Amino acid sequence: MGWFNRKAPPQSAEAQARDRDWESALQRGTLPQPVLERLAHAREGRAPWVATMTPAELLTARSHGCRPIATVSGTCWYNFGFSWTLGHGEGWGYALDRIRQEAYAAGANAVVDVQMRTIRHRIGSSMDFTLIGTAIRVEGLPPSKDPVVATVPALQFVQLLEMGIVPTGIAVGASYDWLGGNSWNYNKRYGGAVTQWQTGIFAGNQPLHELGSFWENVRREAHASLREHAATMGSGVLAHTHFGQIIKKEQGDKQPPAYLGRHIVIGTVVDTPFGAAVPHGIEPVVDMRDDDTLSASRGHRHSVYSQQIGEGEGPI
Amino acid sequence: MAEQQIPQHALERLKGLRTQGHAGGIFTSDFSVNEFLLVRKAGFEPVGLCVGSCIYHLGFQFAGWGSNVELEQLSLAMYEARALAMERMRLEATNMGADGIVGVRLTVKRLEWDKNILEFVAIGTGIVHAKGHQGFKGPNGQPFTSALSGQDFWTLLSAGYRPLEMVMGSCVYHVARRGPFATMSSIGQNVELGNFSLALYEAREIAMERMQLEASKAGAEGVVGADLHEGSHNWSTHVIEFFAIGTAVLPIEGHQSDDIPDPKLVLSVNS
Repeated sequence: MGWFNRKAPPQSAEAQARDRDWESALQRGTLPQPVLERLAHAREGRAPWVATMTPAELLTARSHGCRPIATVSGTCWYNFGFSWTLGHGEGWGYALDRIRQEAYAAGANAVVDVQMRTIRHRIGSSMDFTLIGTAIRVEGLPPSKDPVVATVPALQFVQLLEMGIVPTGIAVGASYDWLGGNSWNYNKRYGGAVTQWQTGIFAGNQPLHELGSFWENVRREAHASLREHAATMGSGVLAHTHFGQIIKKEQGDKQPPAYLGRHIVIGTVVDTPFGAAVPHGIEPVVDMRDDDTLSASRGHRHSVYSQQIGEGEGPI
Repeated sequence: MAEQQIPQHALERLKGLRTQGHAGGIFTSDFSVNEFLLVRKAGFEPVGLCVGSCIYHLGFQFAGWGSNVELEQLSLAMYEARALAMERMRLEATNMGADGIVGVRLTVKRLEWDKNILEFVAIGTGIVHAKGHQGFKGPNGQPFTSALSGQDFWTLLSAGYRPLEMVMGSCVYHVARRGPFATMSSIGQNVELGNFSLALYEAREIAMERMQLEASKAGAEGVVGADLHEGSHNWSTHVIEFFAIGTAVLPIEGHQSDDIPDPKLVLSVNS
Protein backbone atom coordinates (compact mmCIF):
# COMPACT_ATOMS: atom_id res chain seq x y z
CA MET A 1 0.00 0.00 0.00
CA GLY A 2 3.09 2.22 -0.09
CA TRP A 3 1.91 3.72 -3.33
CA PHE A 4 -1.11 5.35 -1.56
CA ASN A 5 0.66 6.65 1.47
CA ARG A 6 4.40 6.88 1.62
CA LYS A 7 4.34 7.09 5.38
CA ALA A 8 2.44 3.83 5.82
CA PRO A 9 4.44 1.82 8.34
CA PRO A 10 5.83 -1.43 6.97
CA GLN A 11 4.62 -4.60 8.67
CA SER A 12 7.26 -5.98 10.96
CA ALA A 13 8.71 -9.41 10.36
CA GLU A 14 7.09 -10.69 13.59
CA ALA A 15 3.68 -9.40 12.57
CA GLN A 16 4.04 -11.08 9.19
CA ALA A 17 4.98 -14.31 10.90
CA ARG A 18 1.93 -14.07 13.17
CA ASP A 19 -0.30 -13.48 10.15
CA ARG A 20 1.08 -16.57 8.48
CA ASP A 21 0.59 -18.56 11.69
CA TRP A 22 -3.06 -17.53 11.90
CA GLU A 23 -3.69 -18.21 8.26
CA SER A 24 -2.34 -21.73 8.31
CA ALA A 25 -3.98 -22.43 11.69
CA LEU A 26 -7.43 -21.33 10.47
CA GLN A 27 -7.00 -23.42 7.35
CA ARG A 28 -6.05 -26.49 9.34
CA GLY A 29 -8.72 -25.82 11.95
CA THR A 30 -6.20 -25.43 14.78
CA LEU A 31 -4.73 -22.55 16.81
CA PRO A 32 -1.40 -20.83 16.12
CA GLN A 33 1.56 -21.63 18.35
CA PRO A 34 1.69 -18.30 20.27
CA VAL A 35 -1.98 -18.62 21.26
CA LEU A 36 -1.50 -22.21 22.36
CA GLU A 37 1.46 -21.09 24.47
CA ARG A 38 -0.48 -18.25 26.06
CA LEU A 39 -3.35 -20.54 26.98
CA ALA A 40 -0.94 -23.20 28.24
CA HIS A 41 0.69 -20.61 30.51
CA ALA A 42 -2.71 -19.58 31.85
CA ARG A 43 -3.64 -23.23 32.38
CA GLU A 44 -0.53 -23.92 34.41
CA GLY A 45 -0.87 -20.72 36.40
CA ARG A 46 2.35 -19.22 35.01
CA ALA A 47 0.43 -16.27 33.59
CA PRO A 48 -2.30 -14.28 35.41
CA TRP A 49 -5.83 -15.43 34.78
CA VAL A 50 -8.14 -13.20 32.77
CA ALA A 51 -11.91 -13.22 33.31
CA THR A 52 -14.87 -11.25 32.00
CA MET A 53 -16.51 -11.77 35.42
CA THR A 54 -17.53 -8.96 37.74
CA PRO A 55 -16.24 -9.13 41.34
CA ALA A 56 -19.66 -10.45 42.45
CA GLU A 57 -19.50 -13.23 39.90
CA LEU A 58 -15.95 -14.04 40.91
CA LEU A 59 -17.20 -14.39 44.50
CA THR A 60 -19.87 -16.97 43.65
CA ALA A 61 -17.66 -18.75 41.17
CA ARG A 62 -14.96 -19.20 43.84
CA SER A 63 -17.40 -20.22 46.56
CA HIS A 64 -18.59 -22.96 44.23
CA GLY A 65 -15.18 -24.23 43.22
CA CYS A 66 -14.87 -22.60 39.81
CA ARG A 67 -11.54 -21.06 38.90
CA PRO A 68 -11.18 -18.69 35.93
CA ILE A 69 -8.35 -19.50 33.53
CA ALA A 70 -8.44 -17.21 30.52
CA THR A 71 -10.66 -15.18 28.24
CA VAL A 72 -11.25 -17.23 25.12
CA SER A 73 -12.89 -16.32 21.84
CA GLY A 74 -13.84 -17.56 18.44
CA THR A 75 -14.39 -15.43 15.36
CA CYS A 76 -15.48 -16.16 11.84
CA TRP A 77 -15.89 -13.40 9.30
CA TYR A 78 -18.21 -14.91 6.78
CA ASN A 79 -19.17 -13.93 3.26
CA PHE A 80 -22.77 -14.66 2.29
CA GLY A 81 -22.76 -16.33 -1.10
CA PHE A 82 -25.94 -18.10 -2.11
CA SER A 83 -27.83 -17.57 1.15
CA TRP A 84 -27.68 -14.91 3.84
CA THR A 85 -29.95 -16.95 6.11
CA LEU A 86 -28.05 -20.23 6.02
CA GLY A 87 -24.76 -18.31 6.34
CA HIS A 88 -25.78 -17.36 9.88
CA GLY A 89 -26.00 -21.00 10.89
CA GLU A 90 -22.60 -21.78 9.46
CA GLY A 91 -20.90 -18.58 10.70
CA TRP A 92 -21.90 -19.20 14.33
CA GLY A 93 -20.99 -22.86 13.90
CA TYR A 94 -17.38 -21.99 13.00
CA ALA A 95 -17.12 -19.47 15.85
CA LEU A 96 -18.40 -22.14 18.27
CA ASP A 97 -15.85 -24.70 17.09
CA ARG A 98 -13.06 -22.17 17.53
CA ILE A 99 -13.97 -21.04 21.03
CA ARG A 100 -14.19 -24.73 22.04
CA GLN A 101 -10.68 -25.28 20.70
CA GLU A 102 -9.31 -22.40 22.75
CA ALA A 103 -11.11 -23.67 25.85
CA TYR A 104 -9.68 -27.13 25.29
CA ALA A 105 -6.18 -25.67 24.92
CA ALA A 106 -6.70 -23.80 28.21
CA GLY A 107 -7.59 -27.08 29.94
CA ALA A 108 -11.08 -25.85 30.84
CA ASN A 109 -14.23 -27.69 31.85
CA ALA A 110 -16.48 -24.92 30.63
CA VAL A 111 -16.63 -21.48 29.06
CA VAL A 112 -19.08 -19.23 30.90
CA ASP A 113 -20.53 -15.80 30.20
CA VAL A 114 -20.27 -16.44 26.47
CA GLN A 115 -21.53 -13.46 24.51
CA MET A 116 -22.54 -13.41 20.86
CA ARG A 117 -21.16 -10.32 19.20
CA THR A 118 -20.81 -8.72 15.84
CA ILE A 119 -19.35 -5.47 14.59
CA ARG A 120 -21.93 -3.59 12.58
CA HIS A 121 -19.92 -2.98 9.48
CA ARG A 122 -20.96 -2.79 5.85
CA ILE A 123 -18.24 -4.59 4.03
CA GLY A 124 -19.84 -6.32 1.11
CA SER A 125 -22.36 -9.01 1.88
CA SER A 126 -20.56 -10.29 4.94
CA MET A 127 -20.67 -10.33 8.71
CA ASP A 128 -18.37 -11.30 11.54
CA PHE A 129 -19.57 -13.85 14.05
CA THR A 130 -17.72 -13.59 17.36
CA LEU A 131 -18.06 -15.50 20.60
CA ILE A 132 -16.18 -14.38 23.69
CA GLY A 133 -16.23 -15.80 27.20
CA THR A 134 -14.29 -16.95 30.23
CA ALA A 135 -12.78 -20.42 30.36
CA ILE A 136 -13.12 -21.96 33.83
CA ARG A 137 -11.93 -25.05 35.63
CA VAL A 138 -14.11 -26.81 38.17
CA GLU A 139 -11.95 -27.81 41.15
CA GLY A 140 -11.41 -31.52 41.52
CA LEU A 141 -12.26 -32.31 37.91
CA PRO A 142 -9.78 -33.22 35.18
CA PRO A 143 -9.71 -30.98 32.05
CA SER A 144 -12.46 -31.79 29.59
CA LYS A 145 -11.80 -32.92 26.04
CA ASP A 146 -15.10 -31.32 25.06
CA PRO A 147 -15.64 -28.17 27.19
CA VAL A 148 -19.21 -26.90 27.45
CA VAL A 149 -20.04 -23.42 26.16
CA ALA A 150 -22.50 -21.55 28.41
CA THR A 151 -24.11 -18.27 27.44
CA VAL A 152 -24.99 -17.53 31.07
CA PRO A 153 -22.80 -15.66 33.58
CA ALA A 154 -20.85 -17.61 36.20
CA LEU A 155 -23.47 -17.05 38.90
CA GLN A 156 -26.29 -18.58 36.87
CA PHE A 157 -23.98 -21.30 35.59
CA VAL A 158 -23.39 -22.54 39.13
CA GLN A 159 -27.09 -22.20 39.97
CA LEU A 160 -27.99 -24.28 36.94
CA LEU A 161 -25.44 -26.98 37.73
CA GLU A 162 -26.88 -27.43 41.22
CA MET A 163 -30.27 -28.01 39.68
CA GLY A 164 -28.93 -30.66 37.35
CA ILE A 165 -28.93 -28.50 34.23
CA VAL A 166 -25.74 -28.16 32.18
CA PRO A 167 -25.70 -25.38 29.57
CA THR A 168 -23.65 -26.95 26.80
CA GLY A 169 -23.60 -24.78 23.70
CA ILE A 170 -25.35 -22.57 21.21
CA ALA A 171 -27.68 -23.93 18.56
CA VAL A 172 -28.80 -22.10 15.44
CA GLY A 173 -31.73 -22.90 13.21
CA ALA A 174 -32.14 -21.07 9.91
CA SER A 175 -34.39 -21.46 6.94
CA TYR A 176 -35.54 -19.50 3.92
CA ASP A 177 -37.78 -20.09 0.94
CA TRP A 178 -39.36 -18.32 -2.00
CA LEU A 179 -43.01 -18.09 -2.82
CA GLY A 180 -43.07 -17.52 -6.57
CA GLY A 181 -40.05 -16.25 -8.45
CA ASN A 182 -36.86 -18.16 -7.86
CA SER A 183 -38.23 -21.17 -6.02
CA TRP A 184 -37.04 -24.57 -7.22
CA ASN A 185 -40.33 -26.12 -6.23
CA TYR A 186 -42.80 -26.14 -9.12
CA ASN A 187 -45.88 -25.29 -7.02
CA LYS A 188 -44.12 -22.49 -5.18
CA ARG A 189 -42.62 -21.15 -8.39
CA TYR A 190 -46.08 -20.40 -9.70
CA GLY A 191 -47.36 -19.32 -6.27
CA GLY A 192 -48.00 -15.79 -5.17
CA ALA A 193 -51.00 -15.21 -7.43
CA VAL A 194 -53.52 -15.88 -4.66
CA THR A 195 -51.73 -13.43 -2.39
CA GLN A 196 -51.64 -10.78 -5.11
CA TRP A 197 -55.39 -11.12 -5.59
CA GLN A 198 -56.05 -11.14 -1.82
CA THR A 199 -54.14 -7.91 -1.26
CA GLY A 200 -55.60 -5.96 -4.17
CA ILE A 201 -57.28 -2.63 -3.49
CA PHE A 202 -60.78 -4.11 -3.47
CA ALA A 203 -59.89 -6.96 -1.13
CA GLY A 204 -61.69 -6.97 2.20
CA ASN A 205 -60.75 -8.28 5.62
CA GLN A 206 -59.28 -11.73 5.25
CA PRO A 207 -56.45 -13.98 6.35
CA LEU A 208 -53.82 -14.50 3.65
CA HIS A 209 -53.78 -18.28 3.67
CA GLU A 210 -51.26 -18.82 0.86
CA LEU A 211 -48.67 -16.44 2.30
CA GLY A 212 -49.52 -17.56 5.82
CA SER A 213 -48.96 -21.27 5.29
CA PHE A 214 -45.82 -20.56 3.28
CA TRP A 215 -44.49 -18.47 6.17
CA GLU A 216 -45.46 -21.11 8.69
CA ASN A 217 -43.43 -23.70 6.77
CA VAL A 218 -40.35 -21.48 6.70
CA ARG A 219 -40.57 -21.04 10.45
CA ARG A 220 -41.18 -24.74 11.13
CA GLU A 221 -38.14 -25.66 9.07
CA ALA A 222 -36.02 -23.18 11.02
CA HIS A 223 -37.23 -24.72 14.29
CA ALA A 224 -36.61 -28.23 12.98
CA SER A 225 -33.06 -27.32 12.05
CA LEU A 226 -32.62 -25.75 15.53
CA ARG A 227 -33.70 -29.02 17.15
CA GLU A 228 -31.45 -31.02 14.87
CA HIS A 229 -28.47 -28.84 15.68
CA ALA A 230 -29.23 -28.87 19.42
CA ALA A 231 -29.68 -32.65 19.50
CA THR A 232 -25.92 -33.04 18.95
CA MET A 233 -25.23 -31.11 22.17
CA GLY A 234 -27.96 -31.63 24.73
CA SER A 235 -31.57 -32.37 25.54
CA GLY A 236 -33.19 -28.96 25.07
CA VAL A 237 -32.80 -25.40 23.81
CA LEU A 238 -33.73 -22.12 25.47
CA ALA A 239 -34.27 -20.10 22.32
CA HIS A 240 -33.71 -16.45 23.18
CA THR A 241 -33.33 -14.91 19.72
CA HIS A 242 -35.92 -14.98 16.97
CA PHE A 243 -35.64 -13.15 13.68
CA GLY A 244 -38.09 -13.34 10.83
CA GLN A 245 -38.71 -11.33 7.68
CA ILE A 246 -40.95 -11.52 4.64
CA ILE A 247 -39.63 -9.54 1.72
CA LYS A 248 -41.69 -8.75 -1.36
CA LYS A 249 -40.03 -8.64 -4.76
CA GLU A 250 -41.78 -7.30 -7.83
CA GLN A 251 -41.43 -9.49 -10.92
CA GLY A 252 -42.61 -7.29 -13.78
CA ASP A 253 -46.00 -6.78 -15.41
CA LYS A 254 -47.12 -10.26 -16.31
CA GLN A 255 -46.13 -12.05 -13.13
CA PRO A 256 -47.33 -11.88 -9.55
CA PRO A 257 -44.72 -10.61 -7.06
CA ALA A 258 -42.44 -13.11 -5.36
CA TYR A 259 -42.00 -13.35 -1.60
CA LEU A 260 -38.84 -14.31 0.27
CA GLY A 261 -39.41 -15.61 3.79
CA ARG A 262 -36.45 -16.07 6.11
CA HIS A 263 -36.27 -17.10 9.71
CA ILE A 264 -33.40 -17.50 12.16
CA VAL A 265 -33.72 -18.81 15.69
CA ILE A 266 -30.83 -19.05 18.16
CA GLY A 267 -30.77 -20.59 21.61
CA THR A 268 -28.70 -21.93 24.47
CA VAL A 269 -28.52 -25.70 24.53
CA VAL A 270 -28.99 -27.37 27.91
CA ASP A 271 -28.51 -30.96 28.95
CA THR A 272 -30.76 -32.17 31.73
CA PRO A 273 -32.75 -35.28 32.60
CA PHE A 274 -36.56 -35.01 32.38
CA GLY A 275 -38.16 -33.93 35.64
CA ALA A 276 -34.96 -33.28 37.61
CA ALA A 277 -35.59 -31.96 41.13
CA VAL A 278 -35.10 -28.30 42.03
CA PRO A 279 -33.37 -28.48 45.44
CA HIS A 280 -33.67 -24.81 46.39
CA GLY A 281 -36.74 -23.65 48.27
CA ILE A 282 -38.55 -20.60 46.96
CA GLU A 283 -39.81 -18.02 49.37
CA PRO A 284 -42.22 -15.25 48.37
CA VAL A 285 -40.94 -11.84 49.35
CA VAL A 286 -42.19 -8.32 48.83
CA ASP A 287 -39.46 -5.86 48.04
CA MET A 288 -39.95 -2.62 49.96
CA ARG A 289 -38.20 -0.58 47.32
CA ASP A 290 -40.38 1.90 45.52
CA ASP A 291 -38.62 2.20 42.23
CA ASP A 292 -40.43 -0.48 40.32
CA THR A 293 -44.04 0.06 41.26
CA LEU A 294 -45.06 3.60 40.61
CA SER A 295 -42.43 4.86 38.24
CA ALA A 296 -43.03 4.91 34.52
CA SER A 297 -39.79 3.06 33.86
CA ARG A 298 -41.54 -0.31 34.07
CA GLY A 299 -44.62 -1.09 32.08
CA HIS A 300 -47.20 1.52 31.27
CA ARG A 301 -49.05 1.45 34.57
CA HIS A 302 -48.62 5.16 35.24
CA SER A 303 -47.29 6.40 31.97
CA VAL A 304 -49.66 9.32 31.46
CA TYR A 305 -46.96 11.87 32.20
CA SER A 306 -44.18 10.18 30.28
CA GLN A 307 -42.19 11.79 27.50
CA GLN A 308 -45.07 11.33 25.08
CA ILE A 309 -46.42 14.77 25.86
CA GLY A 310 -45.05 17.23 23.33
CA GLU A 311 -43.69 20.58 24.45
CA GLY A 312 -46.25 22.64 22.60
CA GLU A 313 -49.15 20.76 24.05
CA GLY A 314 -51.28 23.04 26.28
CA PRO A 315 -50.05 26.60 26.82
CA ILE A 316 -50.25 26.70 30.60
CA MET B 1 -26.48 -19.75 49.63
CA ALA B 2 -26.48 -23.21 51.18
CA GLU B 3 -23.80 -25.60 50.01
CA GLN B 4 -25.37 -27.69 47.30
CA GLN B 5 -24.06 -30.79 45.62
CA ILE B 6 -23.61 -30.76 41.87
CA PRO B 7 -25.42 -33.86 40.55
CA GLN B 8 -23.34 -36.73 39.18
CA HIS B 9 -24.55 -36.47 35.58
CA ALA B 10 -23.60 -32.79 35.50
CA LEU B 11 -20.11 -33.56 36.81
CA GLU B 12 -19.64 -36.23 34.18
CA ARG B 13 -20.63 -33.84 31.44
CA LEU B 14 -18.14 -31.26 32.73
CA LYS B 15 -15.37 -33.84 32.64
CA GLY B 16 -16.28 -34.38 29.01
CA LEU B 17 -16.91 -38.06 29.70
CA ARG B 18 -20.49 -38.35 28.62
CA THR B 19 -21.12 -37.82 24.94
CA GLN B 20 -24.52 -36.39 24.30
CA GLY B 21 -26.97 -37.29 21.64
CA HIS B 22 -30.67 -36.84 22.13
CA ALA B 23 -31.83 -37.37 18.58
CA GLY B 24 -35.28 -38.31 19.83
CA GLY B 25 -36.68 -35.94 22.42
CA ILE B 26 -35.26 -32.46 22.37
CA PHE B 27 -37.28 -29.65 23.86
CA THR B 28 -37.29 -26.05 22.70
CA SER B 29 -38.44 -23.07 24.74
CA ASP B 30 -37.93 -19.34 25.03
CA PHE B 31 -37.70 -19.41 28.83
CA SER B 32 -35.05 -17.49 30.68
CA VAL B 33 -33.00 -19.51 33.17
CA ASN B 34 -35.15 -18.39 36.10
CA GLU B 35 -38.39 -19.14 34.28
CA PHE B 36 -37.16 -22.62 33.43
CA LEU B 37 -36.29 -23.30 37.08
CA LEU B 38 -39.62 -22.01 38.39
CA VAL B 39 -41.68 -23.99 35.87
CA ARG B 40 -39.74 -27.06 37.03
CA LYS B 41 -40.32 -26.16 40.63
CA ALA B 42 -44.04 -26.01 39.86
CA GLY B 43 -43.77 -29.61 38.64
CA PHE B 44 -43.76 -29.03 34.88
CA GLU B 45 -41.30 -29.63 32.04
CA PRO B 46 -41.03 -27.68 28.78
CA VAL B 47 -41.71 -29.69 25.62
CA GLY B 48 -41.50 -27.24 22.79
CA LEU B 49 -42.00 -23.75 21.44
CA CYS B 50 -45.51 -23.31 20.12
CA VAL B 51 -45.98 -20.67 17.47
CA GLY B 52 -49.03 -19.65 15.54
CA SER B 53 -49.22 -16.83 13.06
CA CYS B 54 -51.76 -15.23 10.84
CA ILE B 55 -50.96 -12.82 8.05
CA TYR B 56 -54.06 -10.74 7.59
CA HIS B 57 -55.22 -8.25 5.01
CA LEU B 58 -57.28 -5.45 6.51
CA GLY B 59 -59.96 -3.96 4.32
CA PHE B 60 -61.60 -0.66 5.08
CA GLN B 61 -64.83 0.51 6.55
CA PHE B 62 -66.44 3.91 6.26
CA ALA B 63 -67.87 5.73 9.22
CA GLY B 64 -69.96 8.86 9.31
CA TRP B 65 -67.90 12.02 9.79
CA GLY B 66 -69.62 12.99 12.99
CA SER B 67 -70.68 9.68 14.47
CA ASN B 68 -69.42 7.78 17.47
CA VAL B 69 -69.64 4.27 16.15
CA GLU B 70 -67.97 0.90 16.41
CA LEU B 71 -66.40 -0.27 13.16
CA GLU B 72 -67.68 -3.79 13.57
CA GLN B 73 -65.99 -5.27 10.52
CA LEU B 74 -62.61 -4.06 11.71
CA SER B 75 -63.28 -5.25 15.28
CA LEU B 76 -64.13 -8.64 13.89
CA ALA B 77 -61.07 -8.68 11.66
CA MET B 78 -58.69 -7.74 14.47
CA TYR B 79 -60.25 -10.39 16.68
CA GLU B 80 -60.35 -13.10 14.03
CA ALA B 81 -56.70 -12.62 13.09
CA ARG B 82 -55.57 -12.97 16.71
CA ALA B 83 -57.87 -15.89 17.35
CA LEU B 84 -56.48 -17.70 14.29
CA ALA B 85 -52.89 -17.16 15.47
CA MET B 86 -53.77 -18.41 18.97
CA GLU B 87 -55.67 -21.42 17.63
CA ARG B 88 -52.72 -22.41 15.40
CA MET B 89 -50.40 -22.08 18.37
CA ARG B 90 -52.69 -24.27 20.45
CA LEU B 91 -52.80 -26.85 17.66
CA GLU B 92 -49.01 -27.09 17.75
CA ALA B 93 -49.23 -27.65 21.51
CA THR B 94 -51.86 -30.37 21.08
CA ASN B 95 -49.68 -32.10 18.48
CA MET B 96 -46.71 -32.20 20.82
CA GLY B 97 -48.86 -33.52 23.66
CA ALA B 98 -48.53 -30.44 25.87
CA ASP B 99 -50.80 -29.82 28.87
CA GLY B 100 -50.65 -26.11 28.28
CA ILE B 101 -48.71 -23.09 27.05
CA VAL B 102 -47.13 -20.48 29.30
CA GLY B 103 -45.50 -17.16 28.53
CA VAL B 104 -47.63 -16.47 25.46
CA ARG B 105 -46.78 -13.24 23.73
CA LEU B 106 -49.21 -11.93 21.18
CA THR B 107 -47.69 -9.42 18.79
CA VAL B 108 -48.87 -7.44 15.82
CA LYS B 109 -46.40 -6.40 13.18
CA ARG B 110 -47.02 -4.35 10.06
CA LEU B 111 -45.24 -5.63 6.98
CA GLU B 112 -42.97 -3.02 5.46
CA TRP B 113 -44.22 -3.32 1.90
CA ASP B 114 -47.97 -3.09 2.47
CA LYS B 115 -49.62 -0.99 5.14
CA ASN B 116 -52.82 -3.04 4.98
CA ILE B 117 -51.16 -6.33 5.87
CA LEU B 118 -50.67 -7.17 9.52
CA GLU B 119 -48.82 -10.17 10.86
CA PHE B 120 -50.20 -11.55 14.12
CA VAL B 121 -47.90 -13.92 15.99
CA ALA B 122 -48.61 -15.91 19.13
CA ILE B 123 -45.58 -17.60 20.69
CA GLY B 124 -45.17 -19.47 23.97
CA THR B 125 -43.66 -22.57 25.52
CA GLY B 126 -45.66 -25.80 25.65
CA ILE B 127 -45.26 -27.62 28.97
CA VAL B 128 -46.27 -30.99 30.41
CA HIS B 129 -46.76 -32.09 34.00
CA ALA B 130 -43.64 -34.08 34.90
CA LYS B 131 -45.68 -36.80 36.62
CA GLY B 132 -48.39 -36.94 33.97
CA HIS B 133 -51.12 -35.23 36.06
CA GLN B 134 -54.04 -34.59 33.68
CA GLY B 135 -55.91 -32.07 35.82
CA PHE B 136 -54.22 -29.03 34.34
CA LYS B 137 -55.67 -29.19 30.83
CA GLY B 138 -57.77 -26.30 29.59
CA PRO B 139 -61.40 -26.29 28.39
CA ASN B 140 -62.52 -29.46 26.50
CA GLY B 141 -59.30 -31.29 27.36
CA GLN B 142 -57.28 -28.94 25.14
CA PRO B 143 -53.97 -27.45 26.29
CA PHE B 144 -54.46 -24.35 28.44
CA THR B 145 -53.05 -21.06 27.20
CA SER B 146 -51.71 -18.29 29.41
CA ALA B 147 -49.81 -15.05 29.13
CA LEU B 148 -48.07 -15.79 32.44
CA SER B 149 -44.27 -15.80 32.62
CA GLY B 150 -42.59 -18.74 34.35
CA GLN B 151 -42.45 -16.66 37.54
CA ASP B 152 -46.13 -15.75 37.36
CA PHE B 153 -47.08 -19.36 36.61
CA TRP B 154 -45.36 -20.61 39.77
CA THR B 155 -46.96 -17.84 41.81
CA LEU B 156 -50.45 -18.46 40.39
CA LEU B 157 -50.27 -22.16 41.25
CA SER B 158 -49.07 -21.26 44.76
CA ALA B 159 -52.06 -18.95 45.04
CA GLY B 160 -54.33 -21.94 44.42
CA TYR B 161 -55.39 -21.16 40.87
CA ARG B 162 -54.66 -22.74 37.53
CA PRO B 163 -54.74 -21.04 34.11
CA LEU B 164 -57.50 -22.02 31.69
CA GLU B 165 -57.33 -19.91 28.62
CA MET B 166 -56.21 -16.56 27.34
CA VAL B 167 -59.29 -14.45 26.79
CA MET B 168 -59.54 -11.31 24.72
CA GLY B 169 -61.88 -8.72 23.34
CA SER B 170 -61.38 -6.19 20.61
CA CYS B 171 -63.25 -3.06 19.66
CA VAL B 172 -62.30 -0.76 16.80
CA TYR B 173 -64.09 2.51 17.26
CA HIS B 174 -64.61 5.66 15.26
CA VAL B 175 -64.57 8.75 17.45
CA ALA B 176 -66.87 11.44 16.06
CA ARG B 177 -65.38 14.69 14.83
CA ARG B 178 -66.80 17.78 16.43
CA GLY B 179 -68.95 20.10 14.35
CA PRO B 180 -67.96 23.73 13.64
CA PHE B 181 -70.40 25.16 16.20
CA ALA B 182 -69.21 22.87 18.96
CA THR B 183 -65.61 23.78 18.14
CA MET B 184 -66.39 27.49 18.12
CA SER B 185 -68.16 27.38 21.44
CA SER B 186 -65.24 25.78 23.25
CA ILE B 187 -62.56 28.19 22.02
CA GLY B 188 -60.72 29.62 25.01
CA GLN B 189 -62.68 27.50 27.47
CA ASN B 190 -61.55 24.76 29.79
CA VAL B 191 -64.33 22.25 29.13
CA GLU B 192 -64.72 18.54 28.85
CA LEU B 193 -65.14 17.25 25.33
CA GLY B 194 -68.09 15.08 26.22
CA ASN B 195 -68.46 13.08 23.06
CA PHE B 196 -64.76 12.17 23.08
CA SER B 197 -64.96 10.95 26.70
CA LEU B 198 -68.06 9.04 25.83
CA ALA B 199 -66.41 7.36 22.84
CA LEU B 200 -63.47 6.14 24.91
CA TYR B 201 -65.80 4.83 27.62
CA GLU B 202 -67.95 3.03 25.10
CA ALA B 203 -65.08 1.42 23.20
CA ARG B 204 -63.29 0.30 26.37
CA GLU B 205 -66.49 -1.07 27.81
CA ILE B 206 -67.24 -3.12 24.68
CA ALA B 207 -63.72 -4.61 24.60
CA MET B 208 -63.83 -5.54 28.30
CA GLU B 209 -67.32 -7.00 28.03
CA ARG B 210 -66.24 -9.24 25.18
CA MET B 211 -63.24 -10.46 27.14
CA GLN B 212 -65.41 -11.18 30.16
CA LEU B 213 -67.90 -13.06 28.01
CA GLU B 214 -65.11 -15.29 26.72
CA ALA B 215 -63.99 -15.98 30.27
CA SER B 216 -67.46 -17.05 31.37
CA LYS B 217 -67.78 -19.26 28.29
CA ALA B 218 -64.52 -20.95 29.28
CA GLY B 219 -66.00 -21.60 32.71
CA ALA B 220 -63.51 -19.42 34.54
CA GLU B 221 -63.81 -17.95 38.01
CA GLY B 222 -61.78 -14.88 37.15
CA VAL B 223 -59.22 -13.25 34.88
CA VAL B 224 -55.67 -12.38 36.00
CA GLY B 225 -53.19 -10.05 34.37
CA ALA B 226 -55.95 -8.27 32.48
CA ASP B 227 -54.62 -5.43 30.41
CA LEU B 228 -56.07 -2.90 28.03
CA HIS B 229 -54.15 -1.77 25.00
CA GLU B 230 -55.11 1.21 22.96
CA GLY B 231 -53.71 1.25 19.47
CA SER B 232 -54.07 2.60 16.00
CA HIS B 233 -52.89 0.29 13.23
CA ASN B 234 -52.29 2.84 10.54
CA TRP B 235 -55.87 4.05 10.58
CA SER B 236 -57.05 7.63 10.45
CA THR B 237 -56.59 9.67 13.62
CA HIS B 238 -60.16 9.21 14.75
CA VAL B 239 -60.08 5.41 14.65
CA ILE B 240 -58.72 3.55 17.68
CA GLU B 241 -58.65 -0.03 18.79
CA PHE B 242 -59.24 -1.06 22.38
CA PHE B 243 -57.91 -4.51 22.99
CA ALA B 244 -58.45 -6.32 26.27
CA ILE B 245 -56.47 -9.44 27.10
CA GLY B 246 -55.96 -11.57 30.17
CA THR B 247 -55.66 -15.13 31.46
CA ALA B 248 -58.84 -16.83 32.69
CA VAL B 249 -58.24 -18.89 35.84
CA LEU B 250 -60.01 -21.53 37.91
CA PRO B 251 -59.32 -22.52 41.56
CA ILE B 252 -57.40 -25.76 42.13
CA GLU B 253 -59.65 -28.16 44.03
CA GLY B 254 -58.63 -28.83 47.60
CA HIS B 255 -56.25 -25.86 47.80
CA GLN B 256 -56.75 -23.90 51.00
CA SER B 257 -55.79 -20.28 51.25
CA ASP B 258 -54.15 -21.21 54.59
CA ASP B 259 -51.58 -23.13 52.53
CA ILE B 260 -50.26 -19.89 51.08
CA PRO B 261 -47.18 -18.71 52.92
CA ASP B 262 -47.16 -15.12 54.09
CA PRO B 263 -44.70 -13.20 51.93
CA LYS B 264 -41.71 -11.85 53.79
CA LEU B 265 -40.97 -8.14 53.51
CA VAL B 266 -37.42 -7.46 52.36
CA LEU B 267 -35.48 -4.40 51.44
CA SER B 268 -32.66 -5.01 49.01
CA VAL B 269 -29.68 -2.85 49.79
CA ASN B 270 -27.66 -3.49 46.68
CA SER B 271 -29.78 -1.77 44.05
